[in-house]
Amino acid sequence: MNSFLSQSFAVIRMNLLSLPRRLWMSLAMIIASAVVVTILLAFLAMARGFEVTLKGAGSDDIAMFLRDGSAAELNSVLSKSQVDLIENAPGIAKDKTGVILSSELYVIVDGIKKTSQTAANIPLRGTSQTGIKMRQDFKLIKGRLFNTGTTEMIVGAGILRQFDGFELGKTIRFGKNKWQVVGVFSTGGNVFESELWSDYRVIQNLYNRGSSVQSIRAKLVEAGDIKQIKEYIKNDPRLNIDVETEADYFSAQGKSLNYMAIFGKVISSIMALGALAGALNTMYTSVADRSREIATLRTIGFSNSSAFVGTLFESLTLSALGGLLGALGAFLLFDGMSTSTLGGSFTQVVFSFELSQDLIVQGMKMALGIGLVSGFFPAWRAARMPVLTAFRTE
Amino acid sequence: MSEKNIFKLTNLVKRFTKGKETLSIFEDLNLSIKEGDFVAIMGPSGSGKTTLLNMLGGVDQPTSGEVEFDGKGIEKLSENQLAKWRASNVGFIFQFYNLMPMLNAHRNVELPLLLTQLKSKERSQRVETALELVGLKDRAKHMPGELSGGQQQRVAIARAVVSDPKLLLCDEPTGDLDRQTADEILEMLQLLNREFGKTIIMVTHDPSAAKFANRVLHLDKGKFVEKELSL
Amino acid sequence: MTDLFLVYKNLTRKKMRLFLTCFAIFIAFLIFGAVSALKGALDSGVEMSADNRLVVINKINFTQPLPFSYVNKVKALDGVKNVTHANWFGGYYQEPSKQLMTMAVEGATYFKVYDELTIEPENYTNWMKNQTGLLIGERIAEQYGWKVGDKIPISSNIFSHKDGGHTWQFTIQGIFKPLDQKTDTSYVILHYKYFKETQTFGGTSVGWLILTTQSPSLNEQVAKAIDANFVNSAAETKTSTEKAFNKAFIEQIGNIGLIIYGVVFMAFFTILIVVGNTMVLAVRERTKEIAVFKTLGFSSMRIFKMILTESFLLSFIGGLLGMVGAYLVVGGVSKGLAGILPNLLIGPNTWAQAIGYMLLLGFVTGIIPAINALRLNIVSAFSRA
Ligand SMILES: Nc1ncnc2c1ncn2[C@@H]1O[C@H](COP(=O)(O)OP(=O)(O)O)[C@@H](O)[C@H]1O
Ligand SMILES: [Mg+2]
Repeated sequence: MNSFLSQSFAVIRMNLLSLPRRLWMSLAMIIASAVVVTILLAFLAMARGFEVTLKGAGSDDIAMFLRDGSAAELNSVLSKSQVDLIENAPGIAKDKTGVILSSELYVIVDGIKKTSQTAANIPLRGTSQTGIKMRQDFKLIKGRLFNTGTTEMIVGAGILRQFDGFELGKTIRFGKNKWQVVGVFSTGGNVFESELWSDYRVIQNLYNRGSSVQSIRAKLVEAGDIKQIKEYIKNDPRLNIDVETEADYFSAQGKSLNYMAIFGKVISSIMALGALAGALNTMYTSVADRSREIATLRTIGFSNSSAFVGTLFESLTLSALGGLLGALGAFLLFDGMSTSTLGGSFTQVVFSFELSQDLIVQGMKMALGIGLVSGFFPAWRAARMPVLTAFRTE
Repeated sequence: MSEKNIFKLTNLVKRFTKGKETLSIFEDLNLSIKEGDFVAIMGPSGSGKTTLLNMLGGVDQPTSGEVEFDGKGIEKLSENQLAKWRASNVGFIFQFYNLMPMLNAHRNVELPLLLTQLKSKERSQRVETALELVGLKDRAKHMPGELSGGQQQRVAIARAVVSDPKLLLCDEPTGDLDRQTADEILEMLQLLNREFGKTIIMVTHDPSAAKFANRVLHLDKGKFVEKELSL
Repeated sequence: MTDLFLVYKNLTRKKMRLFLTCFAIFIAFLIFGAVSALKGALDSGVEMSADNRLVVINKINFTQPLPFSYVNKVKALDGVKNVTHANWFGGYYQEPSKQLMTMAVEGATYFKVYDELTIEPENYTNWMKNQTGLLIGERIAEQYGWKVGDKIPISSNIFSHKDGGHTWQFTIQGIFKPLDQKTDTSYVILHYKYFKETQTFGGTSVGWLILTTQSPSLNEQVAKAIDANFVNSAAETKTSTEKAFNKAFIEQIGNIGLIIYGVVFMAFFTILIVVGNTMVLAVRERTKEIAVFKTLGFSSMRIFKMILTESFLLSFIGGLLGMVGAYLVVGGVSKGLAGILPNLLIGPNTWAQAIGYMLLLGFVTGIIPAINALRLNIVSAFSRA
């Protein structure tokens, strides 16, 4: 065993020292694995960033009410009488002024995307002081809150990053109505930052919504506990309403970009096959290139398993280098990159690519997989190489 | 052997320059070789035997001086003209055979015929004749890797003679072979010289190989020292 | 034996390497073909839009409605040929996840504006007579296997039926087909009037207007006239060509699309570089053999051509196989994805581009070794060995 180890180390050392002889082939293998990893990570980081942005918006101690079957706020409508009924539901927290509940609605308005200079959907949400308080991470970065009953609005930081014309102090027209930007807010990077906020009553008035709203958020007495509320809704035929925790709602919404992760996995796996072919070429070349050395060592009495290990180690080293390079590339190119896309609510979600550690681990696994397979077969050939044949190859 | 010179080298100079250093191989070398002769060129390693052979074969150019082949200077020909000249006049035999590893014996021998206008049937006949001449008719379908060194060298000889050139240039043709095999190859060259009238110029450092030649030239320090065959 | 045979022998001398290299090229072009098809499918709405068709939407956003009265007001303007309108129904079949693109339209004018769609006159008349009638696109018919006469329930994730629930019952009265196969028909249409009468909100608003102009040259003028007509009204409009509208819609998906293509093409070129490197090295290994060829009297040009032929052959074998693979894959999934991604196909443009890249790959990988061979000095080639 000890001898096996020392033999293997000797062979590994010789292999690595002979790498410069095969510089270009080795570089090709490194680059191929690197690109596969970069691609995989780009897609995973995109899907992850999107998911985090939506998930981060959801809170476990808030119940979210939508019309049944509507699945997203966009499609939901709730009448005033339904809102009144929900206010009396059990399990909702109260403070001095009454139940902690926010009726909300939004109009989709056009914003001009910085990247394409074309119009894209953004939500102008009608909310209230209570609604704002319910967003734990809410922070006013600049200016002040909108005043109730006015056409003032505050703008999410994400909107400012991706869209033109929403800067503090600007007057904006949506249809015939003029709005003033009086503040800029952040909610810790989650999806609410991709919104414009104002007084919900003003929105109802200006956009012919009567007294209807689209969603209700209510603070729960006990986080995560919506059983009583569900019961209450079931027993009242007037309430054709779905309820779930805000956390659940947003984690479902966050999945809507999962096809990106799947697409990325599929495409990078196919790409990995291409890289694998290249890597096998590299490793077979390496074995051919070292055949005399291998034969010499075998003649001296080195075991064939040391030839195997040496070759495998070489390919793992190259692919691991590629994996690291690819992860670094993905990090430099994509991590933190801000972009926006159409989310489940048919409005733009501004989010940043997020290359977290577990994703990098996935990338490295992919690279080492390439190294393992591309090393195994050539290593097998190296181990089985008859000593004499090796000497004959010129 | 005729009285006609096949080669006449006049005032031949060959120097290699690498960076600032100049290595002089030949200064004012003169030599004539008769058509139909079998000449062995001997000399210590590094004395310029291969360099000389390369210039005779038109793969290398002298720094100055003339290389006359059949009365015409070849040292001024362009690369393409030289290629054509080689294809029709020279057969090469190398120390390491230099067969194409992916082609079988037949196809290796056929290679020079691709440079002629011959139809494929004629080519095949010629290849068979050449292989028969070197005694490898039954190995036509073998790949070089499946042949011994001596056999490979015989394929190489077949390749060198298949297009019927006047001149055979051999650089250490037996350098990689054992005594007996070497003698077989040398006998074959002798046969080609005697029966087919080929002019053969052979570089070797092996005195017993040189015995097969009609004339032996000793190259030393860039000059010829002619000795009789009485070694 | 010919030069081509020599090329073939050189190419196949190391079977494993040939296979691996071809395979890598195959993968590269497979991805190229498939992703180009994907891109083409996303862009096809823009490509297939008619030159003289305009879309009128609410200036706030296209999800905001327009008053019904706008239909006649727009019709009265100069340069307008036909006007029709549509409402988004938010339709799905059986389950919310099975989205079915459904629009409520005005039957009398719809096919005048979308004149690239055809339908059997008899079916059309029946549909016009039956207020619960439904017309389905050819692609929908293929996807679900629906036929004329089938009764289909369609639910809405936005609207509620007066009688309760979100589901409407319809009878398929006909299947509309496109003149050009690339035109999207993966949607269904129902009568606007029936839709308005049976949903709970009531009202008479329309989603958007679509109109044709007398001639494409009038587009700008007409668009300006429409928007000017409604300026300072309760619902201001934004009129654009169908093409611009579709394009802006695709842009909503954002530079994510761009990132996908960027990343994939980066990968494509990397594989080509890796493969090219292998090919260059493969020829370099043969330096001595090339010197032998030259010594035998083969002209430099002839060797140059042989090496280039070899690299082109390799690139085309792998590349064409890859494109055929992409063709099969795209053909296989396009049926299943017809609902989400109509027009998933490898168009002539993609083929042309692919051939272009094969030529490029063959050239770039062949030219370096070919030039090396052209310049190769026989003497130094031998002494190097
Ligand atoms: N291309 C070259 N560049 C520089 N020096 C060379 C080159 N070819 C040969 N030489 C030198 O010329 C001398 C003669 O070489 P060569 O003709 O090969 O000798 P021989 O064949 O007699 O052993 C040697 O010293 C060798 O190093
Ligand atoms: Mg020599």
